[in-house]
Amino acid sequence: MEGPLPPTPSLKGRGSSGALLPLPLRAWTAKRTKVGGSGRCFPRTHATPWLMLTPALSAAAIIVLLPVLDTLWMSIHDVILYRPRVRPFIGLANYAWAVADPVFWESLWHSLVWVVAAVSLQFTLGFIAALLLNRSFAWRAVARALIVVPWALPSVIIGLIWTWMLDFNLGVLNEIGVRLGLLSASVPWLAQSSTAMAGVILAIVWQGFPFFAVTLLAGLQAIPGELYEAASIDGAGAFGKFRHITLPGLAGVMATALLLRMIWVANSLDLILVMTGGGPGTATQTLPLHAFLTAWSGGNYGHGAALSVLLTLLLLGVVVAYVWRNRA
Amino acid sequence: MQRRALLSGATAALATAPLARPHAQKTVTIRWWYHLDDPKATPDAFIAAFEKANPGIHVEAENIPWGGGGDYDNRLYTALIAGNGPDTAMVKFNNLARLMEMEALTPLDTWIDAWPGKGDISADLWRLHTAPDGKRYYMPLQYVVLYLYVRLDLLAKHNLAPPATFDEFLTCAKAMTGGEQWGFGMRGGSGGHDSWMPFAFGTGARPVKGGFVSPAALAQNRFFIDLLRTHKVCPPSAPTDSFLQIVNNMKAGRTAMTVHHISTANDMVTTFGDSITAVVVPRGPDKTGWATFGDGSNAVFSVGKNQEAAWRWVSWLSTAANNVLYNKAAGQMTVTTSGAANWTLHPKRFVDATVNSLPIAGVLPNLPQAADFTRVVWPQNTQKALLGEVTPDAMMQTFEKLFFG
Repeated sequence: MEGPLPPTPSLKGRGSSGALLPLPLRAWTAKRTKVGGSGRCFPRTHATPWLMLTPALSAAAIIVLLPVLDTLWMSIHDVILYRPRVRPFIGLANYAWAVADPVFWESLWHSLVWVVAAVSLQFTLGFIAALLLNRSFAWRAVARALIVVPWALPSVIIGLIWTWMLDFNLGVLNEIGVRLGLLSASVPWLAQSSTAMAGVILAIVWQGFPFFAVTLLAGLQAIPGELYEAASIDGAGAFGKFRHITLPGLAGVMATALLLRMIWVANSLDLILVMTGGGPGTATQTLPLHAFLTAWSGGNYGHGAALSVLLTLLLLGVVVAYVWRNRA
Repeated sequence: MQRRALLSGATAALATAPLARPHAQKTVTIRWWYHLDDPKATPDAFIAAFEKANPGIHVEAENIPWGGGGDYDNRLYTALIAGNGPDTAMVKFNNLARLMEMEALTPLDTWIDAWPGKGDISADLWRLHTAPDGKRYYMPLQYVVLYLYVRLDLLAKHNLAPPATFDEFLTCAKAMTGGEQWGFGMRGGSGGHDSWMPFAFGTGARPVKGGFVSPAALAQNRFFIDLLRTHKVCPPSAPTDSFLQIVNNMKAGRTAMTVHHISTANDMVTTFGDSITAVVVPRGPDKTGWATFGDGSNAVFSVGKNQEAAWRWVSWLSTAANNVLYNKAAGQMTVTTSGAANWTLHPKRFVDATVNSLPIAGVLPNLPQAADFTRVVWPQNTQKALLGEVTPDAMMQTFEKLFFG
């Protein structure tokens, strides 16, 4: 199976100054290439990508790095929105307040439940949907298009749809449940602590499983059909092919999709905000929602910033895994 | 020489030209932030009327998303801090303390005292619009007072009259509860503090230091929580029911009483006709009581460069016929006595219930914590008490601690 690697594409033959580069860069890289007279391309190979990336990096610095630095600054100052003239430095007091507050630990636990339940269910449903959509059947193209609809809808709309579907008084799910005899009476799904989290998880699973379905479907289509044919000739059954070809073939896509989705779900608060506002009580309050309410409603941006930094640090493990995976 | 003289003359004429123009003809533009509950309502009609009467002033109205009040308030604060705030804006009492702390407000006392329309606004309204420091920063624009909606036809089946006391209220609620119908549509979700306060402060307690944990307030709060937990006269969804749920339940006949205000009166009448009425919220045995005042005012900001013009605009809006015109768009009650006397926007019984509630109308403490209380602290703790996760007394202690430490 293994053979010589294909030749690496290079700029050789396109002129020493790099014909694909804009003129000023071409001149600059050509000049740098002559340094030392040996034709070594050290400055060219290292500086050119950075030069090309400069516009994107500048934009990222303005819209990502500056707000991050501002958040860090706020987290060590007493920043109250309606006291703009007084913002004293208070060291780590905001962090001490955050970890001493029982609501922080409660919200952290809710975040953990939220991420694990939502992502695992989305993944399971998405994987099943991808396997089904990878088979041949009538109207498959339509099914593939329709499955993206929940993913394409805004979270606020999805939150409202599910709030009313789960509503105690007028909700269609209660109505169906009672008519089919599955429920003895309507259940206030979002108004009791024991079921509210399940209600919001149900909504985000519906919203997010198409992401896995589409991503994994793309991965499935990238697995060469010859592998399955060869396995069939060798006498492999359906489960054997799934275990030894499909799963290894999808491993990379699965890992990337899972890591990305974990970060997104852990950060998301819009669906919960619309459906329950974190309630009843604090039964569905996750860490980002806690940070948001502290800053936005309480006007305490110092506390809110500290909570956001703590959330970022917690998510850093997942981010590092994602970056490491992409490098690998 | 002649040419030079001609140029000199032309230059002099150009230089003096602006002085020759009357200053009043220079149009001043003021920015006004507003929010109207009805998304189809626009201020165009009354702005046109104002500009016709005041040709030197142009009003640039900006409709700011409400977002439960939080979006509007935070946009206002940040705009003022950034130096890009409006000259004047619609405001509510729960952000008065924060705006005062920001030194963003212009005291209106001098202007109000010299204003001919002052006497057309009741003393009760001026009392409510006075800040803790004794000054008036808010100009009354619209108001509601929360009252109790009652289904008369359902009460009649049990030979009961609309309740005036809390004991009568519980009797009525129990009588009208059964099957898929509940006596009282409780609002435990967003905005529910407004309909909770008439219960908590209905027998004499007040939201002042020590007031939340006074024996009267604690007893009344237990009564409120027990409506759901013990007497079960509210739908099980009450802990998270909000505006839409309480109104829809009432209109669907699933609840027989609920607390709201005149903005929903026409909707109720369309559904029930004469079978529905409104009365002042229940009161304690000694006739003390508390009816939550829902305000809508205008403020003039200290950073504005056209404060005089802004005052002319906000005072024009609060003047007799103009205020009626405005409230036709806002769907709330006029603040003028003359306007209320000839009010045709809502049936009289709902206007009467509103006006009769004014003597016991009250507002939350004018403290910076008020906004956080209404949006987060009240719903979280009340929902926990309604679900039995904390005691009603613990809930009140949390409120006392939030406001008064």
